[in-house]
Amino acid sequence: MNSDNGTTPRPCGDACGTMPSCAPLAVPYVPFQQQGSQKYGQADALANGTLFPGLNLPFHLKVDASALPDNHSTQLQAMLFVVAELGMYLDTHKDDAEAFQLFRQYAQLAKEGKQRYEEMHGPLTQLSAGQDAAYRWLDDPWPWDFRQDGGMN
Amino acid sequence: MFVYEKKLQYPVRIKNCNPKLASVIISQYGGPDGELGASLRYLSQRYSMPYPELKGLLTDIGTEELGHLEMVGTLVHQLTRNLNTEQIKTAGFDTYFVDHTTGIYPQFASGYPWSASTMQVTGDVIADLTEDMAADGAMVKRQHGSPLVCAGMAGKALAEMADAPGLLRPGGAGGDERGGCGVSGIKTVG
Repeated sequence: MNSDNGTTPRPCGDACGTMPSCAPLAVPYVPFQQQGSQKYGQADALANGTLFPGLNLPFHLKVDASALPDNHSTQLQAMLFVVAELGMYLDTHKDDAEAFQLFRQYAQLAKEGKQRYEEMHGPLTQLSAGQDAAYRWLDDPWPWDFRQDGGMN
Repeated sequence: MFVYEKKLQYPVRIKNCNPKLASVIISQYGGPDGELGASLRYLSQRYSMPYPELKGLLTDIGTEELGHLEMVGTLVHQLTRNLNTEQIKTAGFDTYFVDHTTGIYPQFASGYPWSASTMQVTGDVIADLTEDMAADGAMVKRQHGSPLVCAGMAGKALAEMADAPGLLRPGGAGGDERGGCGVSGIKTVG
């Protein structure tokens, strides 16, 4: 896309979007992301901050997904991140069947991941706090609390 | 309707305090290109959007920006944990502390309070989407899903400032070999 990140321009490659046909002159456009875009795995997606290699334009820092802690919390964060990314992609590409299939898979994974997380660490929402024998919504840690062990926060 | 999920979108774990860095990062919370403005911009513009994909997209992005706001607030909070008297007097943070102590207040790095004058809602689809791109320093670079310290210009300025002394790095276990404060789980996207 540009020489800064070392990628070579390709004609309509995965990092290039599509333009509206018959686009009027002298109007600025952002090309549409193409259907069937390449995707990272969930850990790389969370670490890079995007599910899509074609949208990844890192500024300074090299990203290494293996530097993320490997625990329930981060796995859930990664799954929910993929759901969020695919959801926004589908907002503008609702007919991309492959993406929707992946979205369905990750939505199910994230649902199960939330249940596992809540069984171990307490409710994520006030609604699920109603499923416990005691009221655990107030239990520490809150997400902004510093935790040495890097648990969900 | 919004329902709170008791978790961050991306892990934030800052081992050592750094009030100087906090006084700059606060701009990503309530500054002219910060997350508060971003979330309100998207969530306010969506009402006049004429197409379902735009109603959905602005709702989803605006919601995610609220998650980013929480992460940046967490950053500032953890950067200002357990300050001693000398650290409170750190140039740049002292003026914040006198007004807000270690509370998280939406303001520019300069101290100017967050202002709706940093955003616009025109009711016109093209004008609003163009405003969104400008506000993000270019949405193409912005990657609407980026986990942290992400909104265009502010992110860039922060990255430039923070990268030099080696204060920010992605992942890692926290702590900095050069003796500064370690920041774990930060990534910057320009």
